Amino acid sequence: MLNELKLVQPTTLYEASKALTDYGESAKIYAGGAELLLLMRQGLMQTEVLVDVKKIERLQRVTWNGNGVRAGAGVTHRELATAPLIREQAPALAFAESQVANVRVRNQGTLGGNLCFNDPHSDPGTVLLIHDATVTLGSHRGERQLALGEFYIDMYATALEPDELLVEVKLSPLPAGMKSAYVRLHRYQRPTLGVAAATMVKNDTIEEARLAVGCVGPKAQRLPELEEKISGTKLNDARRIVVDAKNYFRDLLRPVDDLLGSASYKLYMTGVLLGDALEQTIRAGNGKQAS
Amino acid sequence: MEETLLELLRVRLRLTGTKRSCESEVCGACTVLVDNRPFSSCNYLAFEAQGKSVLTIEGLANGEQLDPLQEAFVRNIGAQCGYCTPGQIMAAKGLLSENPVPTREEIAEWLSGNICRCGAYGAIAKSILEAAQEYQQRKS
Repeated sequence: MLNELKLVQPTTLYEASKALTDYGESAKIYAGGAELLLLMRQGLMQTEVLVDVKKIERLQRVTWNGNGVRAGAGVTHRELATAPLIREQAPALAFAESQVANVRVRNQGTLGGNLCFNDPHSDPGTVLLIHDATVTLGSHRGERQLALGEFYIDMYATALEPDELLVEVKLSPLPAGMKSAYVRLHRYQRPTLGVAAATMVKNDTIEEARLAVGCVGPKAQRLPELEEKISGTKLNDARRIVVDAKNYFRDLLRPVDDLLGSASYKLYMTGVLLGDALEQTIRAGNGKQAS
Repeated sequence: MEETLLELLRVRLRLTGTKRSCESEVCGACTVLVDNRPFSSCNYLAFEAQGKSVLTIEGLANGEQLDPLQEAFVRNIGAQCGYCTPGQIMAAKGLLSENPVPTREEIAEWLSGNICRCGAYGAIAKSILEAAQEYQQRKS
């Protein structure tokens, strides 16, 4: 049973931010409720006021602005998984969104809620990183842009200020000829490990690569040193390099043993799945479920 | 305001066909359709359904005439203990309203979040395939 709640339904970003300011810590931003209501119902989070952002129109759109996609924070996982624009411009993201939890959660949960909650065991952020995604944060004071990698601070922690809302996520299409893939392992409907890769290949050689890993560490991260190392290599060499990168993963991701697996298992599988993801970008692209 | 849809259905309206189980959007026992789309009623605030259609297992039969999905579940013994069954059937109803002729793989994917601890999955999938055919035949 939930405690008594007051509902506020602003129609503009300004009103929403003002409500967050006025009610202070007793208020929480509410969009789908997939994550928030779970915490509240389990008594892990107390709140008195829900600031429902679903009536703010700007948060509900997926649009193309000439050089990139803008996905509103209030768009659901299901909408993103099926939106023609996302399937066309960011197929690995559409795939990742189609794998979030189950169809009920995808109907309810939103992109913004997922990113702001920053549960490390999550899918969309990992793919967004290889699209160089930026987030727009807005408040009654104005708006600012942050790279997604800077928005993520630590597990369950983001750069969102108390009076701010995540408005939209901007993602750039991959450069022409670059193919992407998302590969994941999951248990209990949450991912144990998710990796995203994008490559530009010429004459069987990886000219440019983007790699990201989620779930293993406290937040999803790009792997810039490894991207550099596999550039100029062929697939088999690149596979060997990522499988051998366990120490790099350990230092960067600081994995822990948990119900989903031991730290060493996760480190081992990170290399394996990155290799699989690289192979997919070269063979087909667009992401696949690891079995 | 703080009432969940599951509480509204089971406690206030005494519609107890929708089951309470994991309480964390994992098991699917509390699945209902809101505007034809499946949701976990345990973790869904009732006010969200205002002005929308809510379909529960109680609303599926037409008087004494069972829905083709219910008939197929009965025919194929698509249940053992039956606790997950209302959720399985409502999830299947949502699938068929969106994808009238699903493949077995699409059924497995869609219902991957509806857990049957008795393991009646084979009979559940068969029932959904048969119900899909029945709906198609009725349409033509």
